[in-house]
Amino acid sequence: MRAGQTLRIARWETLRSVGSVDRRTTIALVAVLVFVAGLVPVLLTTTPTPGAGLYRVGVDASSPYAAVIQEDPELQAVDPDLPLEPGSMDVRVVGTAVYVPDTEKGRAAAGALREAIITHNDAVMTQEDDQAAAFPVSVTLRYLPQAAPDIAGVGTGTDGTGPDTGAAGDGSDTGAAGTGGDGDGESGQPSAEPDGGTGAAGGPIPSAPIGGILGTTQTGTPSAIAPPFPLRSLLLAFLFLLPFNVVIQAYGSSVIAERINRRGEPLLVSPATRADIVIGKALPYFLGSIAITTVIAIGIGGGLLSIAAVAPIAALFMAATFVAGMLARSYKELTFVTVTISVTLTGYAFIPAVFAEVHPIAAISPLTLVVNDLQSVAVSPGEFVFATLPVTLAAAVLFSLGIGIYREEDMFTQRPLPQKAIDALAAPLRSRLHVGLWTALFIPFVLVLELFAVATLYILPVSLSIPVLLGVVALIEEVAKSVHVFAGFNRARFPRTVRTGLVLGVISGVGFFLAEKLLVITQLVGLPDLEIGQAAFAPEVLGVTPAVLLLAPLVLHTTTAAISAVGAQRSRIAYVMALGVASLVHLAYNLAVVMTLA
Amino acid sequence: MIVVEGLRKRYGDVAAVRGVDFEIESGEVFGLVGPNGAGKTSTLKMLAGLVEPSDGSVQVNGLDPGDPEMRKRLGFLPEESPLYEEMTPRSYLEFFADLYDVPDAVADERIGSALDRLDLEVRDRPVGDFSKGMKRKVAIARSLVNDPDVLIYDEPASGLDPLTTNTVVEFTRELATRDKTILFSAHDLYHVESVCDRVAIMHEGQIPALGTLEEIREEHGDLEYRVYADVKVDGMVQEGDRFVTVVESMAEVESIRERAAAQDGSVIDIRTRESSLEDVFLEVTDQAARA
Repeated sequence: MRAGQTLRIARWETLRSVGSVDRRTTIALVAVLVFVAGLVPVLLTTTPTPGAGLYRVGVDASSPYAAVIQEDPELQAVDPDLPLEPGSMDVRVVGTAVYVPDTEKGRAAAGALREAIITHNDAVMTQEDDQAAAFPVSVTLRYLPQAAPDIAGVGTGTDGTGPDTGAAGDGSDTGAAGTGGDGDGESGQPSAEPDGGTGAAGGPIPSAPIGGILGTTQTGTPSAIAPPFPLRSLLLAFLFLLPFNVVIQAYGSSVIAERINRRGEPLLVSPATRADIVIGKALPYFLGSIAITTVIAIGIGGGLLSIAAVAPIAALFMAATFVAGMLARSYKELTFVTVTISVTLTGYAFIPAVFAEVHPIAAISPLTLVVNDLQSVAVSPGEFVFATLPVTLAAAVLFSLGIGIYREEDMFTQRPLPQKAIDALAAPLRSRLHVGLWTALFIPFVLVLELFAVATLYILPVSLSIPVLLGVVALIEEVAKSVHVFAGFNRARFPRTVRTGLVLGVISGVGFFLAEKLLVITQLVGLPDLEIGQAAFAPEVLGVTPAVLLLAPLVLHTTTAAISAVGAQRSRIAYVMALGVASLVHLAYNLAVVMTLA
Repeated sequence: MIVVEGLRKRYGDVAAVRGVDFEIESGEVFGLVGPNGAGKTSTLKMLAGLVEPSDGSVQVNGLDPGDPEMRKRLGFLPEESPLYEEMTPRSYLEFFADLYDVPDAVADERIGSALDRLDLEVRDRPVGDFSKGMKRKVAIARSLVNDPDVLIYDEPASGLDPLTTNTVVEFTRELATRDKTILFSAHDLYHVESVCDRVAIMHEGQIPALGTLEEIREEHGDLEYRVYADVKVDGMVQEGDRFVTVVESMAEVESIRERAAAQDGSVIDIRTRESSLEDVFLEVTDQAARA
């Protein structure tokens, strides 16, 4: 790839794309952008009150409840002389008596009124000089990663015992501030140093420095403590993803337009290489995405970290769209695929970020970095690499695969999608060693898919999630080791012999084994401290000697890859069957390791 | 110079080109003719580096077709006229001139000159508004922005009206005088016959006939003798006040002369007619099909 040619193509792609948008469309787009730009500050300064005035409460101004109703946005004071019936009044207050009609809304209104009274009373109590008298019970919550043995809140009650929820009530050395400290941990796991205040927690606390609230404390009355949920930051982080959906539509259209009526054919005989063309055409859209990201970051108070975290997501959106544009046979098909891409990648980025404050699983998403950036939480280099590297590498590999089929024979023919996919996989296999190389290059996808599986399965009970996950992981890895081998045989890159299958299987297995060490980056954020994380990324590491640690996975990967490759050299059906066998062997290995070491 | 050796191309189970060998000298105009599906387009695309051969080799001026240096010296015109329809001819051609590293001033001159010569006066409207002939002219102009040494044209006048076809033929002939190596395929045999130094006839992925027009005619064509006499000899038909027959050899002509003399008559006129390229083309493809 040459920078000069790439930039030329990028410049002309920009001019051409701009030229293809008519004036009315331009005006409409600018109007939408201005509207959105104006909306963001309004949203940032406005607190949404979706239930404002929902319940109509008949109350006299002289009633002691009048102030309560006045303060609560859900409640609307109305003339107490109105009839107590739907549409006029939901609850009537006369003196200290509350009249509730036997209707669903009436009961809900009474509940809201009760909540409002409690809130009001708490507010009044906080004004008291003697807070101990006002609040005889105070609770301090300390937030820890979910998988930690002493996961629940640390009870620091004045009676010196923890709550009956199985939590350690010892007050660790980094634990509750202020109100407790002398508990003995009798109801939780035994503390090594049950001397209160200085003792360590009952079990190891994984160092998973994600989110802004882990390791910190919340103190107050029970009614004043709300579970941590970075809703505002999360919604703002989601803003970064929205424009990508528009950008990939434009980019995807540009890619497929090159293929319609062979418009891209003259470029293929120009001095520009395929990489020049692909990168050159993608660059304006990528830079446009970054420009929009920058504007959003400035608008919502994000910094360089937010932009740097979102850039790999933009690249992955585009890389997936590029491959889709190369494979789709029509605009209609492209639209279907881009919607799928959009939903999948948005899910990958957004769902883990929902747990930014509470769970290490959030670390897999670059959006978690954005949430942390917006909340001014420090992010370590390791966390940044962990969240962005797999996505970046996946984008690079997808672009590489797409460049492999950016050629006349694949661009301008109406071949079925699987055939083109096989072409894309077979194109880079110029020698046997390339099989190992490409297996290694698939590791980012393996990592992304396995992380996604962890993110979606971790909510299940461990007894169920781990076996399922081990099966999913086995299948993902076996496909990654063999699908291109099958493509190579299918496209006559290699002679169809058992011997060749065995050799390619071993090469692929070795390539996977070596590249698998990339998974060591999961250590950076403590993900293997989770049981499900161990199952996915390090089932073989627990208590195993170094020799076994080194050799067992190598033997596993080469054996199962060879099984699949032998099937691949025979036929498609034989490959599918061999892949199933290889996955079962892999699953059995994983289960054996986990069960033996559990 | 273009050297093609043992060139083959398979698309799955279909063999599009089945072992083709030929050489084209620098400055030569070489025509590739053949029926639909003969393998002409596949051959040209392999020469242009667009399609990878299944077997065999291609060298253009000593370079592989995929070599960027070779591509700088190549002008390729595909069978269709694929253009960015939202661009004007000028901006489209400037884009390609830019890709070929042509300095702006030189590009301006070349683009203006090519469009003038091709009689394309509308230059600032989107190409999408153009007729097929106008688009073809823009595509031809694009193949020339880099002032290439080698031109590969696939059916340059296909589907054009007679006037535009004539413009394209004349332009191709003019290019031939500029010492460019030109290889093109065509259905219109008149185009080939009027421009080419040598011709290869393709049929089912092979080249059953290759050479100058004279050589091909000599090998595959017929020479007819139309013999007129003032008396009727067996086999002759009356045409006005004389009699005529068509024979294929001088021996037969002599036989007619002797028989006319035996009747106190004589042969009064002999006219020869060579097979046209079309006749030769039909003959060669017919022979190949029978073989």
